[in-house]
Amino acid sequence: MKSLTKKAFQSKRSKDNATGYVLIAPWLIGFFLMFLIPMVISLYLSFTNYTMLNVPKWIGLKNYSRMLTDKDFWQSLKVTFSYTFILVPLRLAFALAVAMILNTKHKGLGVYRAVYYIPSIIGGSIAVSIIWKEIFGNNGVLMSLLGAFGVHQKVSVLGNPHTAIWAIISLGVWQFGSSMLIFLAALKQIPATYYEAAKIDGAGPFCIFRKITLPMITPVIFFNLVLQLINGFKVFTEGYIITDGGPMNSTLFYVLNLYRRAFTYFDMGYSCALAWILILIMGIFTAILFKTQDSWVYYEKK
Amino acid sequence: MKANRLCSFVLAGVILAAGMTGCSGSGASSSGASVNSSSGDSSAATEADKSPVTLNIAWWGSQTRNTYTQKLLDMYHQKYPNISFTGTPSGYDSYEQKLSTQAAGNELPDIMQMDYTFISEFTKNGSLADLSSYVSDKTIDLSNADQSLVDSGKINGKLSAIVIAETAPTVAYNPDVLKDAGVAEPTDGWTWDDLLNDCIAIHKKTQGFGFGTTIPSNSVDWIFNYYLRQYGKSLYDSEGKTLGYSDDKYFIDFINQFKKMQDEKAEPTVDEYTQINARGKEQSLVVQGKAGFMFEWANYPTIVTSANPNLKLVTMPNNSKTIKAMYLKPSMFFSISNNSKHKKESAEFINWFLNDIEANKVINAERGVPISSTIRDEMKTSLTAQNKAEFKYIDEVSKNSSQVSPPDPAGSAEIRTKLNDEFDAVLYGKKTEKQAAADFRKESDEVLSRNS
Repeated sequence: MKSLTKKAFQSKRSKDNATGYVLIAPWLIGFFLMFLIPMVISLYLSFTNYTMLNVPKWIGLKNYSRMLTDKDFWQSLKVTFSYTFILVPLRLAFALAVAMILNTKHKGLGVYRAVYYIPSIIGGSIAVSIIWKEIFGNNGVLMSLLGAFGVHQKVSVLGNPHTAIWAIISLGVWQFGSSMLIFLAALKQIPATYYEAAKIDGAGPFCIFRKITLPMITPVIFFNLVLQLINGFKVFTEGYIITDGGPMNSTLFYVLNLYRRAFTYFDMGYSCALAWILILIMGIFTAILFKTQDSWVYYEKK
Repeated sequence: MKANRLCSFVLAGVILAAGMTGCSGSGASSSGASVNSSSGDSSAATEADKSPVTLNIAWWGSQTRNTYTQKLLDMYHQKYPNISFTGTPSGYDSYEQKLSTQAAGNELPDIMQMDYTFISEFTKNGSLADLSSYVSDKTIDLSNADQSLVDSGKINGKLSAIVIAETAPTVAYNPDVLKDAGVAEPTDGWTWDDLLNDCIAIHKKTQGFGFGTTIPSNSVDWIFNYYLRQYGKSLYDSEGKTLGYSDDKYFIDFINQFKKMQDEKAEPTVDEYTQINARGKEQSLVVQGKAGFMFEWANYPTIVTSANPNLKLVTMPNNSKTIKAMYLKPSMFFSISNNSKHKKESAEFINWFLNDIEANKVINAERGVPISSTIRDEMKTSLTAQNKAEFKYIDEVSKNSSQVSPPDPAGSAEIRTKLNDEFDAVLYGKKTEKQAAADFRKESDEVLSRNS
């Protein structure tokens, strides 16, 4: 390899950088046009009274102060928080359990892996949401099945303000496949020597799980937790299609309320403010998780 | 090294180019092609006649309407081969949202079907072209149309929407269901108690429903407004700054009727209705013979005629012997986008739509009764029994009605949801009627003051 003078090295490095920028130019342009610039515009609009049909006029913090007394805002926060903090533990628990079961060497496990993964690919779609509506809705599959066993519901799951959200939570749990695959990969990384040593010491299966498996996969639990938490706050399609805010606003998710404010009520400035508050909330939770990771996430140091 | 860099530049260029074409291609097809991307000819009169023009036209409707409207577009294209269309039909629920998003992006279609509830908002922000010049030079010939109906499209002195057809509120009913229940068909001048008793009687006799919808629904605000009209009140005051009634007893009496119907199982629960409503107009309980009555517009029987051709119309019940609460309403309008580069061609199409007898034979009054008296007379020979009933109904209503309420003020969409929520709360037993009425008043005052 030729040895370079300092000047030649720097000019070569900047030429390499230029090549790099050119290659990622398509993504960069998309990032600026579709992401960064709209974000800045939405921040500006959140301080105006924009209705999509007028010229935005600056109103300062009025949108933000309106949230404090907006019944729908607090309801949507309550619904979204309960949804997220019930769904994420349930979903990760299922994912881990199934991953552990699949972490063996039987034949045909690849089929099961694929089958469990498919819901997470198609699950967020409108088609599946419509199917869910027909299953849990009035005169739907569930009601008819129960009726065949002599259990007559007065109101379907989707019509009862107390149970509608569980139908949507079940849709989220059903999509555990993507988390499961990540757990599976992590489980396979745990060196077999640990398990052998534990067996020699006579440890039972629960002890092994608590003392070896769980600590070793905490990085992946952390990753899944952050990802699923953020996804949980963003829930929209299911709420919009299955219940559209649900009986008595019991499934009025945050993003659904935001969408309605923007496009049905033409309250676009307020919606932008809502969007930024959501970013703030997600940021706070993510920051909390990151700050506490030192105390519970174990990274192997080489 | 140099070849490597050249390769990477070429690769980046190819990817960029592919990305750009991909973007514009999908953008055009999904948003129905912005006006700017169609032929950039200037609109000099003679050139416009000959050079190919593509008009974007948007409307809402059922599958029946979509099919015959597409047929109309083809007919027009055959007549004037240089005019072709890109039609974007959709359902009614998200139509206004779709238009407002397009308005924000300056991408409104050339011709848009519009509803009375939102023409004022779109006029105020300058999205709609002023069509008075086209009317005065007879590009759009409205000489045979009722002047007060035409004037309903005039907002702030600007004729921003041409009314296509007229309609009136009605109670549509299934005569077969009534016959099975031994209930006499209603007549003009019946009261709300009559409606209530009929519905309960139908349920008792046939175990089906008397009333085919629930009251919380997309149309609850105009029904409640009609109820208030009987007492000389209205939902919004004349300036749209506050509610048009001060005594909450109207709210309480109104919802109590439907609560009673629900308690007697004479109307479906909100839960049952949500499921049915999602399946489209042809699946409604009245059409399917599972209920007797529903509140609708006069062209409803024509809309669902393929599913059930026997539905009949009667005026809305009226508790007052002196006040004429019924009204004629412009059923829908056509507007032209202010940014359209083909305003004259669009105006010519609207004129053809309104005044051509062949076109109206295809339309068959599905959008409402045609506004041109000449067309109405010419159609009398080819009308189906259903259409004859609709025309007759409109004729009768026009003799016995008062002025339609002014267009809804800004914020009405939110108030409609709040009204639904409060009625819901009463039907679910979560609030008393009195509490719901008071809460509704507080909420609407807040919305109206914020939007004025």
